[in-house]
Amino acid sequence: MKIFVLFDERGRHIEPAGNPDDSPMEASPDRLVEGLKVGQERLRSAPIDDLIGLCDAAGQAWTMPGSDVARMISSLSIGFLPLWLRRANLEPLVAQAFRGNIKAIDRFVSNGGGNGRKHRAQPRGILVHWVAGNVPLLGMISLLQGLLSKNANLVKVSRQNAGILPFFLDALRKVRYRRPDGTEVSGTLLTDAVRAIYMDHEDPAAAALSTLADVRVAWGGREAVEAIMNLPRRFGTEDIVFGPKTSFVVVGSEILNGPEGARRVASLVARDTVALGQRGCNSPHTVFVERGGQVTPEAFARLLGEELSRSARQVPPDTAPQEAFQILSWRAEYDMRGQAWYGDGVRWSVFYSDEDRGLATPCYGRTLFVRPVDDVLDVAAFCSINTQTAGLALGERRLKVAEALTARGIERCPEVGHMSLYEAPWDGMYPMDRMVRWVSA
Amino acid sequence: MGVIDELLRQPPYATRPGELQNLLRAAVQEAIGHHCEHCPAFNRWYRKQGVDPAAEIKDLAQVPFLPVSIFKRMSLESVGEQDVVRILRSSATSSQTPSRVVLDRMTRDRQMRTLGTLLSALMGPMRRPFVVLDAAPQQGGDVELSARVAGLRGYLMMASETHYVLERQNGRMVLDTEKLAALLEKFRSQQAPVCFLGYTYMLFQYVVAPLLRAGRQFALPAGSMVLHFGGWKRLAGQAVDRERLNSELSQVFLSPDPCIRDAYGFTEQLGIIYPDDGHGVRLAPVYSEVIVRDPISLESLRDGVPGLLEFITPLPNSYPGIALLLDDVGRIVSRGKGEGGRFGTRFEVIGRAQGAEIRGCGDTLPEQIYQVRA
Repeated sequence: MKIFVLFDERGRHIEPAGNPDDSPMEASPDRLVEGLKVGQERLRSAPIDDLIGLCDAAGQAWTMPGSDVARMISSLSIGFLPLWLRRANLEPLVAQAFRGNIKAIDRFVSNGGGNGRKHRAQPRGILVHWVAGNVPLLGMISLLQGLLSKNANLVKVSRQNAGILPFFLDALRKVRYRRPDGTEVSGTLLTDAVRAIYMDHEDPAAAALSTLADVRVAWGGREAVEAIMNLPRRFGTEDIVFGPKTSFVVVGSEILNGPEGARRVASLVARDTVALGQRGCNSPHTVFVERGGQVTPEAFARLLGEELSRSARQVPPDTAPQEAFQILSWRAEYDMRGQAWYGDGVRWSVFYSDEDRGLATPCYGRTLFVRPVDDVLDVAAFCSINTQTAGLALGERRLKVAEALTARGIERCPEVGHMSLYEAPWDGMYPMDRMVRWVSA
Repeated sequence: MGVIDELLRQPPYATRPGELQNLLRAAVQEAIGHHCEHCPAFNRWYRKQGVDPAAEIKDLAQVPFLPVSIFKRMSLESVGEQDVVRILRSSATSSQTPSRVVLDRMTRDRQMRTLGTLLSALMGPMRRPFVVLDAAPQQGGDVELSARVAGLRGYLMMASETHYVLERQNGRMVLDTEKLAALLEKFRSQQAPVCFLGYTYMLFQYVVAPLLRAGRQFALPAGSMVLHFGGWKRLAGQAVDRERLNSELSQVFLSPDPCIRDAYGFTEQLGIIYPDDGHGVRLAPVYSEVIVRDPISLESLRDGVPGLLEFITPLPNSYPGIALLLDDVGRIVSRGKGEGGRFGTRFEVIGRAQGAEIRGCGDTLPEQIYQVRA
């Protein structure tokens, strides 16, 4: 058994672009778990206000211009992370998960039933997270929810970008939160309850980690998630699966009654596309555009190309060579049978054909397939358990369309421009709620 | 088609620097004009690249290129249906969809002529016995075998006689060692150099590895050659590279002048092969040019830097496969004078382009949930 320890109570043992195999190694998870339990006890006894205060301080510090963390956030296109960490975001998020009372994770509180009974949320224990390789933001958010619910967290990162999560954990470790009474809390309160590790797919450590987990949190593609779910587990272990899903945009004809409005929407779609390197389950790949507006679906596709060109210029692409080859294939095909807009190299592409229907196969590399529909409600036919976010650009029909899409499997219907934001519920659940046990007294 | 035919009449490898480059450029230009005129989809695509098909080509790297996978997606034809004499389909090893390439008589004749010229340059003008490292094709036999044999048929134009030394036993391919021994005994007594021909993975898996395990060795007649092709992908899991294959080959086939050649080529530009020098370095003949491109910027890269391989040739008449980008990664090794005083672009193929390792949670949904077209 070879478990490479990338981050522990002493800090990080890997550079952001480092090789996980060069990190200290453990032959079993025992010592890691022992250390985690100590960290978790400290976390359990701390008030939730301290935990949120530390996150808020991190959110502030990480937007300081010129700092290493700010540069990393910019290079990963995850500017949303510091905003997500702010108190104004976290307090409602935690309250939603804990039945409207954030103190429920600290102590017994009234259950609100008017019967004098009290309840509280108890952390489940050890969370083992399996994080998708190239969406480090989502792994970080998963982990922070584990901490806000006062659990111990063992995070198995992927070989790709193995050093990214330890980098942020190390930055969180150095954060200080000054309470209203002037006393200080160190970021180690959070990070001592975290270990980031790496091991090979075939290593028996994977089964050992799965067996010791009270909650298994899996992010990733289909094969990865299936492999994790097939590992042995104890009876009663909770599984939180953020599996493979695809997302799209719906643009109603009422938004397309003038070039300015259309351009504004195109700009927001472009922003959602560039965020997360278009690799998140919440990243759009298909843009359904309703016919009947002043701006036709084809004209909207052209506008989208212009806006995507602008957004893509600001962030360098992380396109793999095989993906680049696929993009070129799509370009050639659409140049021959439809319309294609693209810039130099493979920084961005928009494709359109009057003939196309349904969801496009994701191509990545800031590639969008614009598809016309006669009625936005027709899009419901393409929704299923495999679809996650529908970014909506609609007028008064917004809730009616959201009703139709969510009834067929869509989980989120944010406004366009907000697709990449992580919020609760996510994938049909309030994740923090699944990380605790509700107990009464 | 004057310039193209003039080019194809030239000997395969240039012996003076820059020789015939102008002729290749003029031939490519002639081919572009032909395909723009006769393939509407190609014409539409070409014009969208912002290049005038009639403009003089000063640099082959500036010629718009198609990804080779376009032949999996589109049916591209530059001749009428009545002129099609054969339809080629690639082996589709890296995807589920095979390429579809139509041949007319002119393209087929050009392919045969260039292949014959290149093989003669490789093994001399005399035909020789070929020992094929596969099972003999049978009427109504299995599809995979038929596809393999179709892939090696072109090479057999250099065969004075053909012998298949593998046979299918209980669904497995097995080397008929005694047949091989008898054949080699006969050729040695005749002092007739032979050519072993087969797919790279078949050569290793069904010939070299079992002979090595059995401790068998065979002496080859002087001047014999082992010619293999088809790529290394299926051997990747067994940690077999060129060095190991050549080393183990030399242990089972004893030769006074060992000659092991790995031929590179692809269905969409059939007729042109790029045999290596025994060490993985290949020379582009005068009928084609190789360009290496950055996978992100798509700019041509300087010599030595790895990138996606592009091949340009004016050979195809019935389909617009003249400038094709592959998902194989390679690099230019040199352009100067090389073995045998030949000039030209030397390159090596490094492997297949990598995809993203593990994508985010937006990846790997079952393909059936996507409907690309109505």
